[in-house]
Amino acid sequence: MLLIDTNTCSGCRLCEKNCPFAAMLIVDEIAVVQDNCTLCGACANVCGEHSITIERAAASPEELAKYKGIFIWAECDESADGESLVPKKVTLELLAEAGRLAGKTGEEIKVLVLSDGRPVDTNPLFAHGASGVIRFVNKLLWPYSTDAYTTVISAMVAAKKPSIFLLGATPDGRDLGPRVAARLKLGLTADCTQLEINEEGQLIQTRPAFGGNIMASIVTPFSRPQMATVRPNVFAVSETPETGRKGDIEDFDVALQRGVVRTKILEVEKVGTAGGGIDNAEVIVAAGQGLNSPDDLDMLRELADELGGTLAGSRPLVEAGWIPHTLQVGQSGITVSPKLYIAVGISGAVQHVVGMNGSGSIIAVNNDPEAPIFKVADVGIVGDAAEVIPALIKEIREAKKAA
Amino acid sequence: MNEITCQALPEVDFASVRRIDGLDEISANYAPYLADESKLAHQGADYLFFPTNEAELAAIMREMNKRGANVTISGARTGLVGGCVPAGGAVVAMDRFDKTMDIRWDDETNEWRVTAEAAVTLKDLNDWANKKNFPGLQARASDETLAQLEQYKNDPRSFFYPPDPTEMSASLGGTVATNASGAASYKYKDTRNWIRRLHVILASGEMLDIPRGKYFATDERKFTIIDTAGNRTTLNLPGYDMPKTKNTAGFFAAPGMDMIDLFIGSEGLFGVVSQIEVALDQMHDGISVVQFLPSDTAALDFVVALREEADFAPDFLEFYDGNALALLRAKQIDNPKFIDMPPIPADAGAAIFYDIGFNPDDPDPDFSKLKEVTARCGSSLANTWAGYERRDLARFRHFRHALPESVNAVIGERKKTYPGLHKLGTDLAVPNKALREIWGFYRSKLDTAGLEWVAFGHIGDNHFHVNILPKDMDDLAKGLAIYVDFAKKAVELGGTVSAEHGVGKMKKKFLSVMYTPEQMDEMKALKLALDPKAMFNPGDILDFEGAAR
Amino acid sequence: MKILVCAKQVPEVTNVQVDPETGTLNRDGVASILNPFCEYAMDLALEMKEAEPEGEVEIVVLSMGPPQARAALLRCLEMGGDSAILVTDRKFAGADTWATALTICKIIEKLDGVDLILVGKHAIDGDTAQTGPMLAELLSIPQITYGVGLEMDEKKKRVRVRRENEGGFEKVQMRLPGLVSVSKGAASRRVCSFESILGARAKDISVMTADDLGLDEAELGLQGSLTQVVKVFPPISKEAGRIVNGTDANAAAHEVVGILKEKHFV
Repeated sequence: MLLIDTNTCSGCRLCEKNCPFAAMLIVDEIAVVQDNCTLCGACANVCGEHSITIERAAASPEELAKYKGIFIWAECDESADGESLVPKKVTLELLAEAGRLAGKTGEEIKVLVLSDGRPVDTNPLFAHGASGVIRFVNKLLWPYSTDAYTTVISAMVAAKKPSIFLLGATPDGRDLGPRVAARLKLGLTADCTQLEINEEGQLIQTRPAFGGNIMASIVTPFSRPQMATVRPNVFAVSETPETGRKGDIEDFDVALQRGVVRTKILEVEKVGTAGGGIDNAEVIVAAGQGLNSPDDLDMLRELADELGGTLAGSRPLVEAGWIPHTLQVGQSGITVSPKLYIAVGISGAVQHVVGMNGSGSIIAVNNDPEAPIFKVADVGIVGDAAEVIPALIKEIREAKKAA
Repeated sequence: MNEITCQALPEVDFASVRRIDGLDEISANYAPYLADESKLAHQGADYLFFPTNEAELAAIMREMNKRGANVTISGARTGLVGGCVPAGGAVVAMDRFDKTMDIRWDDETNEWRVTAEAAVTLKDLNDWANKKNFPGLQARASDETLAQLEQYKNDPRSFFYPPDPTEMSASLGGTVATNASGAASYKYKDTRNWIRRLHVILASGEMLDIPRGKYFATDERKFTIIDTAGNRTTLNLPGYDMPKTKNTAGFFAAPGMDMIDLFIGSEGLFGVVSQIEVALDQMHDGISVVQFLPSDTAALDFVVALREEADFAPDFLEFYDGNALALLRAKQIDNPKFIDMPPIPADAGAAIFYDIGFNPDDPDPDFSKLKEVTARCGSSLANTWAGYERRDLARFRHFRHALPESVNAVIGERKKTYPGLHKLGTDLAVPNKALREIWGFYRSKLDTAGLEWVAFGHIGDNHFHVNILPKDMDDLAKGLAIYVDFAKKAVELGGTVSAEHGVGKMKKKFLSVMYTPEQMDEMKALKLALDPKAMFNPGDILDFEGAAR
Repeated sequence: MKILVCAKQVPEVTNVQVDPETGTLNRDGVASILNPFCEYAMDLALEMKEAEPEGEVEIVVLSMGPPQARAALLRCLEMGGDSAILVTDRKFAGADTWATALTICKIIEKLDGVDLILVGKHAIDGDTAQTGPMLAELLSIPQITYGVGLEMDEKKKRVRVRRENEGGFEKVQMRLPGLVSVSKGAASRRVCSFESILGARAKDISVMTADDLGLDEAELGLQGSLTQVVKVFPPISKEAGRIVNGTDANAAAHEVVGILKEKHFV
């Protein structure tokens, strides 16, 4: 329930202006909540007097049963020409996984799309399993801002009452998820790598903790929707989307005030490889502390080129300034799952391995036979990278010529 | 007692001991056993043995002795003076001697003692002692040992093995052979101080079991060994006085000495050490401090003050001169391994790295005397790096390794142009009173010769490592000559030519700076008394004409 | 200007061992340390303090944890923090990120004039990165996550934060009061001096408990948590692969490229 402290309320109308559902009205200079309030929390967020409290009791089983559907936030990138917005690959990964879960619960899957007016191609979303899209368009929605997106997404989720709400655990996803969860007082699990529905119909959210040393499975029995941010590159995108499949698009209106947004992006600095970055690469050659100098990266780039791949690296190299964080693989970096991962001079500490052990084939080069990386590598070469890498490059070139 | 009787070991068929025959096979598949950290070239090897217990070791010795063949003992191969680089004959790899045998509390001396085989590394020993878990011991141990182990686990204090050479992957046996020491030896003294019992297998294949405190030379420096057949051999220990410093040059010799000390620091010349009982010490809370000072003179003043005033009792006292700091500053810029190391202040002319007792839970610690001493030397406690958590200590340990690594990197680069180039390092130590004089001598010689150099090391023991970095072969020659001058000066001031690395094959010429030909003969005679065919570790410390091959 | 740094004490996870059968964590010999990302938050706070005239910026450090979390606060004071608050009570045990954020929110509401809150981007034990944003939402202040550098604007009403994103960096401006979660900044980090370590012992560490919050017990700790851990287990380890001896680099390369060919990578 929503409570207004009439002693402190100053009748300033901020809540009225910012309510996405026009569910707050100022009557006789005091705020009065209307029946269509969804408890989305936008008003409490802007009230300067702290006059608004939202009491959320733990949901009863009857309450919980009212929540249906799996929602996914379609985080978007700008297209190369900047004319449209394209849902990130992680959205398709989530759709594939949601499809598997919905197979057990029989629920509908809907995708939340926020755009600044540029078109978003929804066909792939339907092809990969969404039955509907809920869309809101507003100039304020690009670039991403915590405040605008929290207000809109919270409004959509509070109004539509899904049982499960998933986001990609991207930097913005992990910025947004906890904000929405706190606004709606929801349990949230971050960076999940496994999802499952148990006998009671609860979503079991499994994720690595302690740097990847253990896995923890979590449920959120008292609140709906059950929220999780999901690690990119863990679930596979469907290889057989139903092209041409149709679904409905609902336009959802939210009163979004400019004043709600309290941050502003002043400049953007792109760094690292063009074309997709390491999380989409099929072949990665990764550098670790075992290398002697930044010059050694050149031979790794050569090797990557020969194999049609890209360079990445471990955290110490990023922290030393040898490579940008956009190339960092690991628990506090990016998780990758290329078809081939070649780890050079990487010892294989669990914090790194957790970011790449889903790779198809792993080859490791290290001169320490006890290095833990050899426990996860399919093929391990115990030797000096300075000799082995040039030998590999030479051998690959010869093999190509012979072919 | 002034005499000891050997023990016989069970007979084992020599043919059953695992061995690799022929230099070709050894070079192809076991090349590491032909080398050590000194990178000295080997002189060939005909056999490589991997004994698994003392009986097998004895069988090898008996057979090699019969054949008149050499035996070079190979531990962890981390030595810097070529000690285990073979000069023909057999190499005996001690790798399989990697188990802990016993642990017990000694009431008289109030210490925990661990018995371990010779190839247990210092790193492992410390790990096990710290975690209070000795792999495999429980399966092997007697009930009595198990009870002791339980008691050790229940002891709320933490323990460690104090000798800390920079290379902690060294084997216990190796550290006994070289009487190894490290930075903490300033407080804890060298390895000798922590050895309570040894098993030594002689050239005859018989074993000496020597606990400390039981067997002593006479005041006339004589001692008798009786073999199992009753034959008596009298040892005449050399008559020289040992330098009053850390010392690993020459044999330990003193009137009425404990005979266990003969086998510590004698670099394997008298027999092979197979099993060692060591004492552990209790860990205490300390804070590590890198104090930056305006000049190396100020640093020396600081060291003298810390040593002589108040009761500071640091665990270690290490020195970095201005050149060393400059080299580190330069390397820090481009090497990711240095990411952990904090930036070195631009105006630092020298640094002293020390460790003193500190209780993090003390709400009102008093270091006013230290503040005063530091101010007197032109610096302050603000101009320091300090830390007491394990992670911080790891960063500082990093600082310690960074310098030798940087030196090696520079030499490595220069070797590309001059393959014959190598670094020159000193291992000389002098008594306390000679500290300023020896430093002044080093500086003036080096600066006059126009050589590039850095200096660092265990200043608490007046033991500097002066690394000359030759730019070309001329520099190398000049450096070698200067090094001899250094050695002579150190001996003149009452010091030693090898404070911790040992003599091995590479520092032999310096022995004659320190000992007269008569004293060298005394050492040779002692060696031949225990090893008549000069079988063990040929080429180490002493040269014998027509020695066994 | 008052900067509040929220810090957490965590186990040094690099040394944590997991029992492969029971999944329980073995914390023997594992030290408790200040969470590295909280250290980076302190780094940024100190940078800001040093950029201003002496006395202009006050750094208060806060930690919610068991009594031994005091050591983490002490470390922050050694680094240069001015005073600390330990928020500790048995009733907080088992708190998830929601209950933690709520508890800390109530404490902060009692503090005067906090202009900027800095937190580490995540704790290396929980790895959730949620507490910071949840706290900001409960306090109704804006946030910037993954900050690696900060500067104040001249009027001290806004900060400009260099933020890590997927493609590189962005510079984001935020009105104060606000919260920034911090990732690693400068490549080479500062270290404490002996003087600042000794000086920390004279600084104030006050203690606050559940009674200071004004919250119902049902909102604290495990009872007040919205998430429940139902299972903990070790990650599945792979079977070891093939080892190739690289001493002869050419032979090794030949063998490996053969494998690459089989798998059609070449």
